[in-house]
Amino acid sequence: MKKAIALTLAASMALSLAACGGSAASSTASSASTAESTSTSTATSEATPAEDVTIKVAAIETAYGSEMWQKVSDAFTAQTGIKVELTTDKNLEDVIGPSMQGGDYPDVVHLATGRESALTEQFIKGNLMTDITDVLSMTVPGEDAKVSDKIAGGFTDTSLTNPYNDGKTYLAPMFYSPCGLFYNAGLLEEKGWTVPTTWDEMWELGDKAKAEGISLFTYPTTGYFDAFFYALMYSAGGPDFFQKATQYEEGIWDTPEAQTCFDIVNKLATYTNPITPAQANDQDFTQNQQLVLDNKAIFMPNGTWIVGEMAEAPRADGFKWGMTALPAVKAGGDSYSYTWFEQCWIPSGAEHQDAAKQFIAFLYSDTACALFAESGAIQPVLNIADSLEGDNKLFYSIYDNGAKAAMGNFAAFNAIPGVEVRTIFFDPVNSLVSGSTTEQQWIDGIKTASDQMRANLIK
Amino acid sequence: MYKNKGRSRFLVLCLAPATILFAIFMILPTVNVFRMSLFERGAYSPNETFVGLKNFQQLFQDSQFIRSMQNMILLVVIVTIITFGVALLFAAILTREKVKGQNLFRIVFYIPNILSVVVISGIFSAIYKPENGMLNSLIGLFHTMTNPILWKGETLVIPSLILAMVWQAIGYYMVMYMASMSSVPESLYESANLDGAGRVTQFFQITIPLIWTNIRTTLTFFIISTINMAFLFVKAMTSGGPNGASDVALNYMYSQKDAGLYGYSMAIGVVIFLFSFALSACVNRVTEREPLEF
Repeated sequence: MKKAIALTLAASMALSLAACGGSAASSTASSASTAESTSTSTATSEATPAEDVTIKVAAIETAYGSEMWQKVSDAFTAQTGIKVELTTDKNLEDVIGPSMQGGDYPDVVHLATGRESALTEQFIKGNLMTDITDVLSMTVPGEDAKVSDKIAGGFTDTSLTNPYNDGKTYLAPMFYSPCGLFYNAGLLEEKGWTVPTTWDEMWELGDKAKAEGISLFTYPTTGYFDAFFYALMYSAGGPDFFQKATQYEEGIWDTPEAQTCFDIVNKLATYTNPITPAQANDQDFTQNQQLVLDNKAIFMPNGTWIVGEMAEAPRADGFKWGMTALPAVKAGGDSYSYTWFEQCWIPSGAEHQDAAKQFIAFLYSDTACALFAESGAIQPVLNIADSLEGDNKLFYSIYDNGAKAAMGNFAAFNAIPGVEVRTIFFDPVNSLVSGSTTEQQWIDGIKTASDQMRANLIK
Repeated sequence: MYKNKGRSRFLVLCLAPATILFAIFMILPTVNVFRMSLFERGAYSPNETFVGLKNFQQLFQDSQFIRSMQNMILLVVIVTIITFGVALLFAAILTREKVKGQNLFRIVFYIPNILSVVVISGIFSAIYKPENGMLNSLIGLFHTMTNPILWKGETLVIPSLILAMVWQAIGYYMVMYMASMSSVPESLYESANLDGAGRVTQFFQITIPLIWTNIRTTLTFFIISTINMAFLFVKAMTSGGPNGASDVALNYMYSQKDAGLYGYSMAIGVVIFLFSFALSACVNRVTEREPLEF
C-alpha cells in the first residue's frame, strides 16, 4: 500500500514538473465564439475560401494600442465570414518567435522593420515571405475599388515593400508617419528666430543659439538617424543618388553628394548638445528628448509619435510642438521629409495564404482605415490627410507645404558578421559628437562595409 | 532480493523526472550550441548549411567581437578584485569588530542583491545623469564644473558599469565570507592576542587561511556571475553604447542572433563557454592549498 502511494506521488511530481515546461500562453483572443473550427481543408485555391477558415493574425501593439486590431478583425469577419484569431503584444517577437522556430506560423504578421530584434529583416533575408503582388490587383472586400487604387502613390515602389528590387511586393505598407526635425515652436517665436530652410541658415541659427547657451541639435538615439540620413541623401542628390547609395553602388561614397551628406552630419555633430551620446541608449533616450522640451536643444529628428510619447513630460513655458522637413542643401533646393511606415506580411510557411491575402486587402477598406484612424494610426491611402485633426493635421500636411516625401531604405543583404547598417552608418555619430572618431574614419568604415554589403546583396 | 529491486525501481522513478528535465533543458541545449556553431543559419530559416570552423575563423577577425571580449575580461578581472577585497574587509569588520548597528549594515549591504538589475540600472541612471544627476551634483559642491561629466560617455562608461556591478555584488559575497568567518573558533584569536599578534596579522594569518576553501568557491562564482551580470547590466544600462564602447561578449552574441547570424552567435557562445570554463579551472588550480582544519 505504502509503495503504491509513493509511486503515485512520484508520478504526480513528474507530471507537475513536466507541466512547467509547457508553452506560456500569450494574449490570444479569438474573435470567433465557436470553440474549435474544423479547418481541415488547407489553402483553398479559389479567391473565396470556405467559411470555416480561421486565420491567425499577429500584430505588434504600439502606441496606437491593440483595440483597433480587434475591431478591424471583427469587421473583417463580419464582411467575409473568415474567422480571425488575433494575437497582439508589445514584444510580439517573443510571443510568436518561438512557435515560428518550431514551424507554426501566423497567417498575417504586422511587424515593421527597424526593430531591435529585427524579426522582419530576418524573414526578408531568409526569403521566407509570400509574394503579395497579386493583392494589389485584388478588390477590397466589401468595396468596388482595387487595392492599388486605394494605396497612395509611391508606397508600393520602395525597397521597404519590394525588398529584392525585382518589382514584386512582399510587404504591405501600413500606418505611415512623416519624420522630420521636431522643435519648440514657442521658443523660436519668443526669440524671433525663423525655421531654417537651408543648412547655411541652420548653422547661422546654431551660432545665434550657442550665444544664448542653447545647443542647435540633439537626437534620442543613433537609431533615429536612419530617417534623417535617408532624407539627407535625397536632398543632397535626389532620388537617383538615393537609389544608387542604398544599393551600395561602387564608388558612391566618393561622390560629391555623399561628401555633402557626411560633411553636414559631421558639422551637425559639433552643434549637438554634448551630453547627448551619454544618454543615447534605450534606457535614457527620453532625457535627450527632454532637452528639446527644456529649451536646451532646438531640433531633434523624430516622428509624429513623439507628441504622445512625451505627453506627460514637464516642459518650458509656452512650449508648442513644431515640425519641419530637413533643410535644403542649397538655397532653392528641395527639402525632404522621410515617410516612415510599418509593414504587414505573410510568412511563406502560413497555412491559409488566400484568406490572409484577403485580410491584407481589407486593411485598406474605408471601414478599416476609419477604425485605425480612431486610434491615431493613419493608413497610407489617398485623401486620408483631409480627415485629420489637431497636431496630426499639422504634421501630416508637411508634404502639402512644399516638402517632398522620401521613402525607401538600405537594400537587404545576407547577414555579415559584425556588419549592420546601424552600427556602420549611424552609431559612429555618437563618437563624432564626443570627438573620438574623425569624419574620415567614419567614411572609411562605411566604404569598407559597403563593399561587403554589395557583395552580399540579396538578389 | 525482491525488496531491493523494488527499492531501486522506486529510486529510479524518483530520480527520473529531475534527470530527464536536466538532460532536456541543460545538456541537450549545450550540446546543440556546439553543433549549431558549425552551421550557418538564420533563427527562422529552416535550412542550415554546414560550414565547419568558418564561424570561428570570422570571429577572430571581427574587431567588434574582440573589443567585446576585452571589455568582458576587463569587467571580470576588475569587478572580481574590487568586490573580493571590499567584501572580505567588510565581512572581517562585521564579524570580528564590535560595530554599532551591525545587523543594519548587513541588511544595507545585502539589499542591492535582492533588487533586480533593471531597478539597479534605473537607480544608476539617476546617479549618472549628466544634468542634475546625483554624482555630478555632489562633485559640483566642491568644484565648479563648466561641462558636466558624462559618466555614460565613451571614456567613462566601463568604470561606471564596474561601480554599479561592484555595488550589486558586495553584499552577497560579504554574507558568504561572514558565514565561514563566524565558524572560526574564538580561541584561535585569543591565543594569537596573547602572542601579541595585531588585528591585521590575525586577519592574514588566521582568518584568510581558515576560510580559504570558501574563498576558492567564491572565485569561481565571481567569474561565472560577472560574465552573466555584465550582459544584464549592459543590456539594461547602455545597450552596448555609445558606439559599442560598453559592448560585452554575451551582448554581442545576442545582437548577432538578431542580425540573423544564428550559427555565428552560437560560435560566440562556444567561445564564452570555453573561456569561462578555462578561467575557472585556472583559478581553481592556482589557488589550490592543503585544506586547514580547526
